[in-house]
Amino acid sequence: MDESTLIARVRAGDSAAERALYDAHVDRVYRLAFRLAGDDALAQDFTQETFIRAFDRLDSFRGDAAFSTWLHTITTTVVLNGLRKVKRFRQRETDIDDAREIGTVHRQAEPDLKMRLKQAIDALPEGYRTVFLMHDVEGYTHEEIGVALGVETGTSKAQLSRARAKLRAALSDFAGEWIA
Amino acid sequence: MTDQYEDPKFDAWLKDAARGTYHAPPTTPRDEMWSRIAAARQRRARRVIELRPWMRWVTAAAAVLALGIGIGRWTADRSSGKGTDVAVTRGVNREIDSLAGVAYQVAATQYLSRTEAFLTSFRADANRSVNTARLTRQARELLTTTQLMLDSPAANNPRLRSLLEDLELVLMQIALLNPVRDGRDRDLINEGMNQSNVLPKLRSAIPAGPVPARTEGAL
Repeated sequence: MDESTLIARVRAGDSAAERALYDAHVDRVYRLAFRLAGDDALAQDFTQETFIRAFDRLDSFRGDAAFSTWLHTITTTVVLNGLRKVKRFRQRETDIDDAREIGTVHRQAEPDLKMRLKQAIDALPEGYRTVFLMHDVEGYTHEEIGVALGVETGTSKAQLSRARAKLRAALSDFAGEWIA
Repeated sequence: MTDQYEDPKFDAWLKDAARGTYHAPPTTPRDEMWSRIAAARQRRARRVIELRPWMRWVTAAAAVLALGIGIGRWTADRSSGKGTDVAVTRGVNREIDSLAGVAYQVAATQYLSRTEAFLTSFRADANRSVNTARLTRQARELLTTTQLMLDSPAANNPRLRSLLEDLELVLMQIALLNPVRDGRDRDLINEGMNQSNVLPKLRSAIPAGPVPARTEGAL
């Protein structure tokens, strides 16, 4: 069954078609949510919320773009908004804890490359990080990213280039060894 | 053509390294997520029936009509000079009730948003042994608010009351977390939250939009 027929059946209230549409796309949505959130519980929450919104708003999908593109627009909105909310909450709590622990110094172990890579990606500005993860890690095209994030294709390319430059600078001392 | 800032060899290495090590996703838990999606959609479907847009218009029209009738009666009473004091008192009382209702809605929405952020963060941190003292402190604060909400007119709504009771149970469990056997307790709390679908219920009770403004339909 092709996707437009499947979508028509979902609109008509066919629950088996809903599940089929979910099965066709859930892996990619969950993978993206996990890459961005780095946490299984959050990734599951974001994936669920994405599909709930998608099914609720399916009547507004006109088929101008691919269904997957439309779905990933919802995914990035849900994930990025959700992460901002969690970050604000955690920051508030960290500030409180920091205020309580003034004078306590924690010595950090020397991070290995995996940790350095994680820290470097985490430290990217949100837009750079999102484009880098979508393009280089999850294989989205710049056109898909542009639609999903509501930016021009050129902006996506520029952000990727800047993200790579920042990562290159952050990992320059390690990268030589790994590439060799 | 590559610009001066590009380094294809590094970029290829970076892609491979990031794919293999940065937030590498596990197998998709399809069935678990689907069952929660189906349950949440059923609940939302019931809610949509309650809050269809045309019903809001009908409600608004009815409110305007009632207001018009009220003003008409009040002015009629004033002109006839009978029952003026009673009508004014009733009007003021209704206005106070209405303002109190809005205040409860604002408070409820803010409380639900805070609780959602806390429980989402709790689930996300479940495997990381985040500071138990901090978690229990936050849970106790929210538990106090939950119990106040349960005693307030906001809990007259049966759906909200049921949600508050679920939240009270979860928050009480978190407030009583034992630092020694913390990991096991957190797993049990998470299992309970999944079984009772408390987070999806909580999210569906929070209206869309920025917290301070999103009071419409909060309860």
